[in-house]
Amino acid sequence: MVVYSGKAKDVIEVDEDSVKIVFRDSISAFDGIKKEEITDKGKINCLISTKLFEILNDYGFETHFIKKLTDTELMCKRVEILPVEVVCRNYSAGSLCKRYGLNKGIEFDVPLIEFFVKDDELHDPLITSDVAIVLGMIEKKEAILLEAITRAVNETLRKIFESISLILVDFKLEFGKTSNGRIVIADEISADTMRLWEKESGEIKDKDRYRQNLGDVIIHYKDIQERLEQIKSLPPLHLKSSVRVIIKLKESVLDPAGEVTLRSLKRKEFKNIEDVRVGKSSFLLFSETPSFALQEKIEKISRDILSNPLIENHSYEIYFGSDKLQV
Amino acid sequence: MKIGVTKYPGTNNEQDVLRALSELNVKGILVKQYENKPLDDFDALIIAGGFSYGDYLRPGALAAQSPMMEELQHFVDSGRFVIGVCNGFQILCETKILPGVLTTNTSTKFISKWIYLKSENSNSPLLRNTNGKVLRLPIAHFDGRYYDKEKEIELLKSKNQVAFQYCDENGDITLESNPNGSVNNIAGITNSRGNVLGLMPHPERASFEYLGSKDGIQIFENLLEEIKC
Ligand SMILES: Nc1ncnc2c1ncn2[C@@H]1O[C@H](COP(=O)(O)OP(=O)(O)O)[C@@H](O)[C@H]1O
Ligand SMILES: [Mg+2]
Repeated sequence: MVVYSGKAKDVIEVDEDSVKIVFRDSISAFDGIKKEEITDKGKINCLISTKLFEILNDYGFETHFIKKLTDTELMCKRVEILPVEVVCRNYSAGSLCKRYGLNKGIEFDVPLIEFFVKDDELHDPLITSDVAIVLGMIEKKEAILLEAITRAVNETLRKIFESISLILVDFKLEFGKTSNGRIVIADEISADTMRLWEKESGEIKDKDRYRQNLGDVIIHYKDIQERLEQIKSLPPLHLKSSVRVIIKLKESVLDPAGEVTLRSLKRKEFKNIEDVRVGKSSFLLFSETPSFALQEKIEKISRDILSNPLIENHSYEIYFGSDKLQV
Repeated sequence: MKIGVTKYPGTNNEQDVLRALSELNVKGILVKQYENKPLDDFDALIIAGGFSYGDYLRPGALAAQSPMMEELQHFVDSGRFVIGVCNGFQILCETKILPGVLTTNTSTKFISKWIYLKSENSNSPLLRNTNGKVLRLPIAHFDGRYYDKEKEIELLKSKNQVAFQYCDENGDITLESNPNGSVNNIAGITNSRGNVLGLMPHPERASFEYLGSKDGIQIFENLLEEIKC
């Protein structure tokens, strides 16, 4: 049973927890205004996705990918796709240049993360995480996790492509929720969902060839896929996650330290100060990539050890890398 | 008769407890956290006070994560007796073997002084012969304010689990006699079965006349009596 037929793939139900994703040869751009069939495009993107999902799974990311069934079909965990997609940019290109009048190819010191609403009718508009949260598309905790995971995927794929002389300019990720509420990387990661430039010449290797009528789309897609196949062993990346946990006494619990501090502040020239609550924060560093599993681990540590839930509340934020710990 | 007395890095009451036991002609056995002695070998366990792991995070929180404490629930379920004094009480709450939590004194000061205690309504054999009496024991703690939700406190009362309340010389439970802001002047509680007792005051430091009081020794006598029979 086909549960969804999109612009480039069909999703077929296998059982309650899994789907078969079939890559078709259709290619489209500009929200489907421009479309065509390109022989073998489905197969090549399916093979690229397979390779990239296998790599991500190997590095400890949680993805929907289970296994490749045929050259155009993947077995994946069935998920409910989150309504926002996440874009990560290392260089300026595409809609970012148009939106802000930028030249193409400006390298960013810190990769940019953007959220977009996954909605063709609205032309996939940019959305701030505040709006996405208020509109109930994602929770705050999820927004933070999606950003951390996307940054880690960027670091990983950037290194992988660099090793085959390609520059990862930008890419889009979709995320989904499994039936038991786990957030995983879903959909496809292929030449259709990223920009790749030849390291030496800057030659475009991705779907921009189709958008800009540069021709030879399948030749370049195939080249990407063949170079990826040459990768035999994965480099150690030492991916890290850092976490800030904040512990606060519950409102109902007397905070003697806060009260004493409040009194002494009031005695000084600080007017209009009404309340002081003294909390605790802990900074944790993990030698693993941000993921839903890591979030579960942090939840357990925060609830069972760092706080006493009887008198304290906790909150946390997960970041990719160790920089955020250097406060 | 094998009575274990725990020693964690940072605790300092284990010798006092051993001394009180030897006054009753029992040689307690020091159980050091890093030795990983199986708890099953003991008839009873006394969790001595002090500042386990420097009271980092919260008093008792890190000791509660130690391998020994992982075995403790099983030990308690087998009906054997456990007494937690001061930091030992804090550890028992952090392991959730006893309900509630001990948090910072309302005065934000470390309090070291003699207080009066009253034991009422408890059905634990560890409190035999203390019912209705006013006991004089010392306290020495920074985090002794017993707290739990009102509903839970009601439950403690209804199940006769309030072992000790701070009171004045005459046994009246008053606001002034509450040294640290504990809800309902609670100084010690038992579990519902009565084989676990946690208390902030130090019975081992009130087990000799020359220390100013012998009121605490009764608790250890009760423990020995229970193990014998
Ligand atoms: N594991 C999955 N379970 C359910 N749906 C998925 C899964 N992975 C991807 N999808 C969704 O299936 C569709 C794939 O088809 P595609 O042709 O890319 O569609 P679209 O035109 O919406 O981009 C997408 O809408 C994608 O969000
Ligand atoms: Mg799509």
